[in-house]
Amino acid sequence: MPGLPILLFAAVAFVVALSILVIAQVVGPKRRTEVKMMPYESGMDPVHSARQRFNISFYLLAIEFLVFDVELLFLYPWAVAAHDRGAFGPDHAVFYAVCGFLSILVLGFVYTWRKGVFKWT
Amino acid sequence: MAEWIEPLIKIALVVGASQAAVAYLVLVERKAAAYLQDRFGPNRVGPWGLLQPLADGLKFILKEEIIPDGADRILFLVAPLSILASATFVFATIPFGYVVPWPGSEPIALTIAPNIDIGVLFVFAVGSLGVYGVILGGWASNNKYSLLGGLRSSAQLVSYEIPLGLSVIGVLLFSGSLKMETIMTAQAASGWWWVAIQPLGFVVFMVSGCAEAARLPFDLPECEQELVGGYHTEYTGMKFGMFAFAEYLHMITVAFLAVILFFGGWHFWGLAPYTEANEVGFIGAVVRVVVLNVKVLLMIFFFMWIRWSWPRFRYDQLMDLAWKTMIPLGLVNLVICAFCQEFLAQDDYVTRAVLGWLAVAGCFAWAAASVSSKPVRTVAVRPS
Repeated sequence: MPGLPILLFAAVAFVVALSILVIAQVVGPKRRTEVKMMPYESGMDPVHSARQRFNISFYLLAIEFLVFDVELLFLYPWAVAAHDRGAFGPDHAVFYAVCGFLSILVLGFVYTWRKGVFKWT
Repeated sequence: MAEWIEPLIKIALVVGASQAAVAYLVLVERKAAAYLQDRFGPNRVGPWGLLQPLADGLKFILKEEIIPDGADRILFLVAPLSILASATFVFATIPFGYVVPWPGSEPIALTIAPNIDIGVLFVFAVGSLGVYGVILGGWASNNKYSLLGGLRSSAQLVSYEIPLGLSVIGVLLFSGSLKMETIMTAQAASGWWWVAIQPLGFVVFMVSGCAEAARLPFDLPECEQELVGGYHTEYTGMKFGMFAFAEYLHMITVAFLAVILFFGGWHFWGLAPYTEANEVGFIGAVVRVVVLNVKVLLMIFFFMWIRWSWPRFRYDQLMDLAWKTMIPLGLVNLVICAFCQEFLAQDDYVTRAVLGWLAVAGCFAWAAASVSSKPVRTVAVRPS
């Protein structure tokens, strides 16, 4: 079973991290005071909850990331297959297709750039 | 039975070695920093401070573990757990050498999961799970600094993932596999390390790898002067230690990837050469392990060197570097590599290298032109 080492390692990594967490909780001292349990905001008493609305730029960036990440996922299999020249036949059709794919992507990239998605001022 | 024992031994070795390596690399980093800044560095605990990592670990464990009152208790604990587990799990497909022949049994591959064909993709997939730990930790703390730090660093990690992935596609094109053993063998067989052929890809990889590991010029997630501690402001004791630990593991991973993808892995001319059948005997296999790991240590030292020589970026500069510089450069590298692979002879590495370095020269020319076309900023000097 080829996947066995991976599964074993996943389990071990999880257990090691969990045991570190648990040991530290058990061994360390526990002396609660009211001030100690407050969030540290440079000595000021915190005003409001910290979970408030934040800048839309982060959201736009996440969407842009999604587009590019999916694009990368398409390119990986192509890159591995294109190493073998004979795989796609003698005419460079697949190469030009990938060029077309990339240029569509670049078009969208330029559009978002001009729209100011990457502006952080 | 045997199919359980072999991976378990390897896992124990990797987990133990990675923990010890991180502990002592922290000491090495502090010594290197001291050397670069003309100080002594840690020298009180044991000879040359050699017991310092032990003292640090004990102190981490013996400190009080605080969970602030407003925090989401479960997510607060899940964050360091997930970040450390994923940072360790990455090592499943990273080879620490080449196949070692073993008397009386099958040769042993120095990878935990040698049969997985998607090595590089696996490392990226699992490595990027660390983003969850960062954003969970930032959100669960109920601290404004933490939330800002978590948002910033998740945006940073997500942004640099794209150039990282783009820069690797050139390597895949030339090697024809996602498996790291095959990538190293391809470089050894050609006699060229890919860094000599795709310098542009290497630069993009190195910069975004540095940012993924949140090392100093890119340590915006936790810039002390602006955000106290960023996403781990509220974490104390061992939970903070787990974040720091995971960050170090990320750096080691990036160093391994850089060596394997761009610096030929175990290959070194004369010392660990390529042989047709790739059977080198026990001594040869050990030499390959040593060569690979020495390269990795040199790469880690290079990271430390960068850290102590460079000032931190501003946040908008950081994002500009990712989206407006690194992604276009990565695309240029990709197009050049695809062109070479499609139209040049399979073993024509000289032309590929010439094209690769021409691309670097072109980038320099473009950068120089764009800098000189900007208006020069003048600073008014107050008359004294």
